Amino acid sequence: MLFSSITFLYWFLPLVVAVYYLVPRPGGSLLWRNLWLFLASIFFYAWGEPLYVLVMLAQTVVGWLSGLLIEHWRGKPIAKLILLISLIAELSSLLFFKYTDFFISNLNRLFNSELALLALALPLGISFYTFQILSYSIDLYKGKVQVQKNLLVFLTYVTLFAQLVAGPIVRYALVEQQLTSRQHSLQTFADGIRRFSIGLAKKVLIANTLGQLVSLARFNLHEGGEQSLLFALLFLSAYTLQIYYDFSGYSDMAIGLGLLFGFHLPENFDHPLVAKSLTDFWRRWHMTMSYWFRDYVYIPLGGNRVSPARHLLNIFLVWMVTGFWHGAGWNFILWGLFMAAVLILEKYLLAKALERLPVLVSHLYLLVVVMLSWVLFESATLGQAQQLLLTLLGMGSSGLAGSSSIYYLLSYLPLMLLATFGSTTLPVRAVAWLEKRAGLLGQRLRAGLEPAFIALLLVVATAFMVDGSFNPFIYFRF
Amino acid sequence: MGKTVMDKKTDNSNTAGADRLLQLRNKLNLGAFILIIGALFLLNLLAPKPAVLVSERRPPAELPKPSLSSIWNTDFMTDFEKYAADNFSFREPLRTLRAVTLLDVLRLSDKDGLYRGAAGAGRIQALDADAVLDWARLMEQLQADLAAQTDGLSFYYAIIPDKSIYDNRDLPGYDAAELARLLDDRLPGVTAIDLTNALVATDYYRTDLHWDQAQLGQRSADVLDVLAEALGCQERLSKDYTILEAGSFTGVYPGQLAISMPPDQLRYLTSPALEQITALYLNPQSGQFVSGPIYDLQAASGRDGYDLFLRGAQPVVILENPLSETDRDLYIFRDSYSSSLAPLLAPAYRRVILIDLRYIDYRVLPEYVSFTANADVLFLYGSQILNDPDILLIQAKEPTKAPDILLNSTNALVARKASRRVKQAS
Repeated sequence: MLFSSITFLYWFLPLVVAVYYLVPRPGGSLLWRNLWLFLASIFFYAWGEPLYVLVMLAQTVVGWLSGLLIEHWRGKPIAKLILLISLIAELSSLLFFKYTDFFISNLNRLFNSELALLALALPLGISFYTFQILSYSIDLYKGKVQVQKNLLVFLTYVTLFAQLVAGPIVRYALVEQQLTSRQHSLQTFADGIRRFSIGLAKKVLIANTLGQLVSLARFNLHEGGEQSLLFALLFLSAYTLQIYYDFSGYSDMAIGLGLLFGFHLPENFDHPLVAKSLTDFWRRWHMTMSYWFRDYVYIPLGGNRVSPARHLLNIFLVWMVTGFWHGAGWNFILWGLFMAAVLILEKYLLAKALERLPVLVSHLYLLVVVMLSWVLFESATLGQAQQLLLTLLGMGSSGLAGSSSIYYLLSYLPLMLLATFGSTTLPVRAVAWLEKRAGLLGQRLRAGLEPAFIALLLVVATAFMVDGSFNPFIYFRF
Repeated sequence: MGKTVMDKKTDNSNTAGADRLLQLRNKLNLGAFILIIGALFLLNLLAPKPAVLVSERRPPAELPKPSLSSIWNTDFMTDFEKYAADNFSFREPLRTLRAVTLLDVLRLSDKDGLYRGAAGAGRIQALDADAVLDWARLMEQLQADLAAQTDGLSFYYAIIPDKSIYDNRDLPGYDAAELARLLDDRLPGVTAIDLTNALVATDYYRTDLHWDQAQLGQRSADVLDVLAEALGCQERLSKDYTILEAGSFTGVYPGQLAISMPPDQLRYLTSPALEQITALYLNPQSGQFVSGPIYDLQAASGRDGYDLFLRGAQPVVILENPLSETDRDLYIFRDSYSSSLAPLLAPAYRRVILIDLRYIDYRVLPEYVSFTANADVLFLYGSQILNDPDILLIQAKEPTKAPDILLNSTNALVARKASRRVKQAS
């Protein structure tokens, strides 16, 4: 089920919220509320993939059982073995469903064989919930979290529909306490409403609308339409904004929904498009994933406390895995390696130069790097990526510009400018500045205007959901 | 310097005021959420569902019945999503709100490919080169088949340009030059008739994709002239028409755009020669032809006013001209554009036979239509069909199942689209 669907917003959500707050809390226990959240989450997941509910539950139970065993044999070598088995089991599931066909097709290519592909559909959110379970097992082994003996609580953690299918990747350590003793208040609930409404608007008003331009441009560039420099630039600019609004909008909705039920989920984005370097960008974009790879892959490999050569290797390895996590394709691996190369360049060569650059130039540098990376990221084949690069160099069949690209540039320019403005820190700073300068008057204004703004966003977003059929979530395929 | 007692009191008072405002804001946020989500939840649950979505000219999706298999393969969920969106309370105003937001607030030039221009509304639809070539192959197959069975047939084809190319903006989408390049030499036994320069923006309805019959025979070198000249029947045609009105007509675009537009005027042409023409309509149920007028004035006030012309969707229509000076017949393989055009050509022939392969399978056509020697055969299609030739029921030569006359070709279309996808994938 998509957050940005009528079924979710006007059927599922009101029912789940209403019943959640009607469920009793005997002695302050969250048992029944957690049970309701778990059942609702299973329904939410099964709405899209009934069969794969079993996969998710199996992985969750394996994670929970291995936790019990690790705790039981704590301090003994067998605990490490249990952890290893648990990691292998969890990663095997991810590898099997996500990467088997990639390996088979490469084997076929390498040995000229004809092994049949499995053609399995990817279980929704498997990359995300697998990482959550792994974080629990590893942190438990390291003694950073307490063992969770209550299966229902653990199931609630893994399956919570707010973050189940596309993150943020919530580490167990962060919500360990919240699972059994979270606070519910008007303040939290109202914050959740605001955050969810903004995320919904980002998704359906901006990301989906820009997505139509991206689709049109992609069709032209890859399917023999107008292959011009202008269309390629338009495509990459629109894609940058679309993927940002799509994914950060989803994260906002997830965080907002978490707040409705008393959960404080981690932030996932911090205005990444105003970063001044790629290093800075990755501190702001999909932060829960970046930190997960840092803490569970990069640091265990030795991080930067190794020889320079090994350090370089570590960076390449981590980014290759990061790329591969995004998708089973060589383009994603190359995308990861491209990221690693630029990050290394920045670390060893460009860091000081970037600091000295005027802010606008460093922003521009970051945007060029990010947009170039999308060439690899979004292309279905390496041939497509090559063609897009040639088009960017003005060597496409339509030269610099054509009538279609000019039409769509003029058509989408206001929206792209609005989306660019919204991706900066200016709106947030403007609200904060007004509140501070205007004092009580500013707060009065906000008390009146914010609910009206939220109502407006909800109504307009509903209009887009009722009428629109274009509603993909880019990160669902990861 | 430390704060005075008065300062501290003021600070405390400000803090208390800010807290109260924060509480008020929280309550109002909650109220807005409950008002919109809660109220619409209840309305959707309790309000009666619409019988028809008037502006979209279709019934809303029905509440699907759950079954184990439909839940297992998620068909139930997909159908429920459609049901929820189709039957949503205030659907029509909400659709308009989206259109206004996109077109007037965000200033997009089109909404989902639908635009408003000086010449009315239209749809931007790029030509799908593969589909166009598929269409050409189908026409080539038809031509070869008909030529093998009947002597002396003369074949022609003409594409009706999409109205978007006559808008004064340089809209993307339909590209007449690209189409000509694609079709060049693809139909060697068929004479091409270029209609691009025979039309102007005002030849089309402002609210619809179709052309206005009253405009077709008004100028020199218009569509009627160009076609008649190519077919060699110009001398047998008189353009001495009288224009009659059949009320107002709102085409498909305002509904699709969800924005109201002033309606068009539904007009039709008559003349002494046209008054002699009678139409025979193939009844799909009985398989018999039924006689009727060429203009159905009752249909003009129905759901689609364009059905005024030859009763709209018809598998086969035969126009008979009892005063014909020739024994020559014209066969038109056609879509809806021909409904308003064909009557104007009828005085120049003994019979004009209109065949819409969206509604009758080509394999059963010989049961209802016989081709006469030395006739003209015209393939006359709008760009919509060129982009979706799978809709035409021209099957492989060895039928795998009994062919049929279809007024609802959905199943056949689905099957053909599936086979097309397989073909593309392979």
